[in-house]
Parts: sequence; C-alpha cells; structure tokens
Amino acid sequence: MFADLRRITARIAEKFKRRFYGRTFNCPVCHFEIAIVDAGKNRLLVCPVCGVVIDIEEVYGHAVPVVLEVELFRPQPKARVHPLATHAPIGLYPFAVLGAALLMVASMARPFVPGLEPMLTGAPVLADATLVLLVLSVGLSVVTFASGLWDWNRRYRRRSYRQIRLKIAFSILFLLLGGAAIVLHASGAVFSAGSGLVDLGSPLSVTLAAVELALLVAGMVVIASLGHVGGTLVYGK
Amino acid sequence: MMDFSPSPEQTELVERARAFTKEFIGPNSMRYDRSGEFPRDICREAFNQGFMNPHVPAEYGGSPHSVLDHCMVLEEMATGCSGIATAIDANGLSQYPVILAGNDDQKRRFLAPMTEQLMFSAYAVTEPEAGSDVSRVKTSATKIGNDYVLNGIKWWITNGSVASWYFVLARVDDKPTGFIVPADTPGIIRGPKEINLGQHASNTVRVTFEDVKVSEKDRLGDEGDGFQIAMKTFDHTRPGVAAGANGIAKAALNIALSYAKRRRTFDKKLISNQGISFKLAEMMTRLDAARYLTYKAAWLFDQGSDNAREAAEAKWFAADVAMNAAIECSQVLGGYGFTTEMPAEKLIRDAKIYQIYEGATEIQKMIIVAKLMRMREVH
Repeated sequence: MFADLRRITARIAEKFKRRFYGRTFNCPVCHFEIAIVDAGKNRLLVCPVCGVVIDIEEVYGHAVPVVLEVELFRPQPKARVHPLATHAPIGLYPFAVLGAALLMVASMARPFVPGLEPMLTGAPVLADATLVLLVLSVGLSVVTFASGLWDWNRRYRRRSYRQIRLKIAFSILFLLLGGAAIVLHASGAVFSAGSGLVDLGSPLSVTLAAVELALLVAGMVVIASLGHVGGTLVYGK
Repeated sequence: MMDFSPSPEQTELVERARAFTKEFIGPNSMRYDRSGEFPRDICREAFNQGFMNPHVPAEYGGSPHSVLDHCMVLEEMATGCSGIATAIDANGLSQYPVILAGNDDQKRRFLAPMTEQLMFSAYAVTEPEAGSDVSRVKTSATKIGNDYVLNGIKWWITNGSVASWYFVLARVDDKPTGFIVPADTPGIIRGPKEINLGQHASNTVRVTFEDVKVSEKDRLGDEGDGFQIAMKTFDHTRPGVAAGANGIAKAALNIALSYAKRRRTFDKKLISNQGISFKLAEMMTRLDAARYLTYKAAWLFDQGSDNAREAAEAKWFAADVAMNAAIECSQVLGGYGFTTEMPAEKLIRDAKIYQIYEGATEIQKMIIVAKLMRMREVH
C-alpha cells in the first residue's frame, strides 16, 4: 500500500514539476535538473549547484548541453542563516499539524468513548501548544524567506531559476496558509477556549475545523515541497 | 527519369512527423529509457495525429501511406527515440501478414478496429531456439475438429504485453502455418518485460501458449503457407527498419554537430579540428548512402517489384551506419559521450538491435548472396 502511495505521489509531483519547469535537462557535471527555459535567448546559464556555465541547445527534442566555463569563487552564504533557519519551520510545523489533528480526533471520539473524558483535561493546553508551534513555525518561516532572498541575491546573483521561483511562490503560499490557520486557531472559533476541543454541536465550528485541517495539510505539502526543492539546490540530483 | 526530390505531400508529411518528434518523442526519450515504461501516452498522440497503422488499407478504415512515405516518417520518429518509434510502429509487423494473406472477414475483425481506437498487435514468430532460422520454430498447432490447439513459447515479442492479438507462426503436422490469435484467449501467458541493452521504451516479452484454442477461421491462408507469409512480411518491413536505423544515425550526427560547433578546445571550436570535422563529414555521407538504399528498397516495394535484395542491403547497411554514427557521436562528445546524462550512450545501446532484429546482418548478406547467385552478371 505504501509503495502504491509513493508511486501515486511521485507521479503527481512529476506532473506538477513538468508543468512548472517545462522541458528540463540534467547538468552534465552535477546532474542537477535544470529547466531549459532558464537559459533565456542566449542559451547560456550557470548551474546553480556546481557553477558550470552551460550552453544548451535542443536537437530533435534532445537537450545537448555544452560546458563552456566554470564560475569559480561563488559567494557562500555568510553565517548560513537560510540553511539554519529553514529547519525550524520544517521541524515545528508537523507537530503543530499533529496537535490539531489529535484535538480533532479526540473531539469526534469523545461521544463514543466514555473512558476518554479524563484524558481530555489536557486538551486546552494542547490547543495552546499547537497555536504556539504554529506561530513559531510560520513566524520563523518569515526569517527563512528573507534569508533565502538574501542568498538568491548574493550567491545566485538574482538569476532566474525555476527552482527559486517555485521556492518564492511556495514560501508566499505557506505564509498565507499558515497565517490563515493561525487566525482560525487563535480566534477560538474552532477549538473552544474552555474544553480545547471542537464543538460538534455547532455546524460553524465543525466547518471551520475542517477548513483549518485543510489549511494545515496543504501547508504541510507546501513546506515539504519547499524542503525538497531546497535540498536539490544544495545537493543536486 | 529519376527524381530525388520529395513531393509536396511528402514534404508536408515529413514536416508533421518532425514537429511531432520534437514535441513528444525527443524530450521524453531519456525518461522512457530510464523507466522502461511503455510510452502509451505518446502512442495515443501518434494515433490521434494519424501516425499509427499506416499500412491498413482504406477499405478497412486506414489512411495508408506508401512504404517510402512511411520510411520517411519513421526516420524522423527514430531520430527522437528509436524505442518509442518501435512502440508506435510495431503494429505494422503483425498487420502485414493479415494484409498479405488475410480474407475480408479477418481484415474486418482484426485490422478495422485498430483504426478506430488505440490498439496494439504483435508478431509472434521468434522462439528461444529459433531466431534467424525461422524454419526451426517448434510451436505446434494440433487440429481438433474445427479448431487448432497451440502449444509453444514465443520469445522477444515486441508489443507482446500490450497486444490485443498476435500473428503466430506454428507447425501443423510439420507445416509452418500462420494464425491470428486474440490475446484474451485462455492459455496465453505473457511474461515480464525483458530488460534489454537498448530501446527500453519498446515492450519486449515472452509469450507462452498452453493449449490455446484457435478457430479455423483465424488461420491465415492455407496450412503450410506460414513461412512464406512470415518471410514476405519482411520485404515490406525491412525498409522501415532501415529507416529507423537512419533515424539513429541522424540523431547521432545532429548531436555531434551541435556539440562540435559550440564546445571550445585549444582556443578554437571543436569542429575546427579536422579530426572531428572529418568524422562529421563521414557520418553525413554514410547517412545519405543508407537513406538512398532505404528509399530505393521502399520505392521498389511500392512499384510492386521484388525488393528482397535491396531491402536486405538497406537493412544491413543502415544498421551498420547507425552503429558507427552512434559510436562516433560518443567520440566527438569525449568524456561527456560516455555519461548517461548525454544522449550519445543511449544511441549506442539503441543502435545495436538494428544489426540483430528482423534478420541479423549476416542473414541480410545471405539474402544478397542468394540473389547474386542467380545473376549472370551484375549491371
């Protein structure tokens, strides 16, 4: 089952990638997958991972890259703020999602499992902890985003790479999704301040809980993709 | 009068095939080569654009091309990827025995549906102990009432696991006989995809027949006609195989040329070195020679003339030209030609099969010599 799931996920990711990147080729030196459109009209581009200057031409649909030069002395990110900062949101966010999911499961199970009640006394604390994790994760992602833009300016010289465009677009998307989830969570409309659980009697609460869960799951997909794309920019293929 | 210029219709057809290749085949060739997946989506696009089943006669729903036109199209497609081109074109090999020896009912049941929706068929002749020597096939067909019962193993069957029906050569009381066998007939077991050296996008499998019942109405021609049908098919298909090899040679030349014009070495462009530029000149000349042999063999078939010698010459020569061009392309690319990120190594792997399938190079030479032996002098 997991193998099937992985295959389906890989297929969806591949389709999305091909739509966003267009035709690609692999850098003949570091094997990093580069969008041909990034080369622009002069057919030249610098591989963001290994720094070779490539002249790319398509012949009968075959990409034929020619290495012309190596860009030496590429500026390294000082203090490595972006790589350090990027792990905080990625590390914290799944626990925030897990906290919210646990609270929702507990809310649904509560009427059917009588023995559950004593364990739910800690629900308000979990709801608060989830909010703190969400705020930390999304808040720190602002630092990640800013330091990423700084690196793009210095190390990559503001060159247009599909991967970096994707990262910028996904970072903004993550901030929007995470911000919306924080607002919903903090409003008390999803998890009541007293019990820390979803009020199943209120259709509004149930609807908003579903919306928050959808926002969190979407955010999870976005942040995981961001991490994956960022990883390829560091380690290549 | 001799005329080497293509007609306006041929030019338009080739341009369409080239555009299709550049859009769908070339950019996906590496992906299918690595995954080994059958390129069904590209075949569907080829079907929609009218590039599949070009042999089916018009009365059965086809829009047939001449063999010469087909060779020109196939050369373009194989320039993108000969594995994908094989997947698109392999139907022809099994359709032709039906076109050649099938009756109206068989053509309506097996050819017509292939023009209405995307379907595949396969030519199941080769066996584990009978490759070039087709007369050694052991698959048996035992007549029981109005049916035949087939038993045997067919090996390296292109499109074998996606086919809706097979052309099968089997022995009826030692007489080689051709049958059309629907793939859903009980007793047919399709093996896993073979992992070959090249042409990974092409589906090649083992097909086992265990007590497979075939109706008498699905026999092609009379009992004992099978060998002739199987061999005559090659007169039709060998120019196409040569065209596929020409596609590889053309891809190799284009890639080497593109690289040599841009790569710099010793403060000048690679192509400025005679050692490299002469290779390109030789590749171009060999490709032209292979093309003319191919077109001649195809043209002779279209004229209704015997083309067995010319088809053998084209198939042998084009295969060798493709192999040589792929190796030279790798040489021009230097170290990059040896890596899997560049298309040259794939061309070498793909080219090899052209020296083997549809009659190995040595078989082609035997055919040529057999024809020579009947000549008093060569003109």
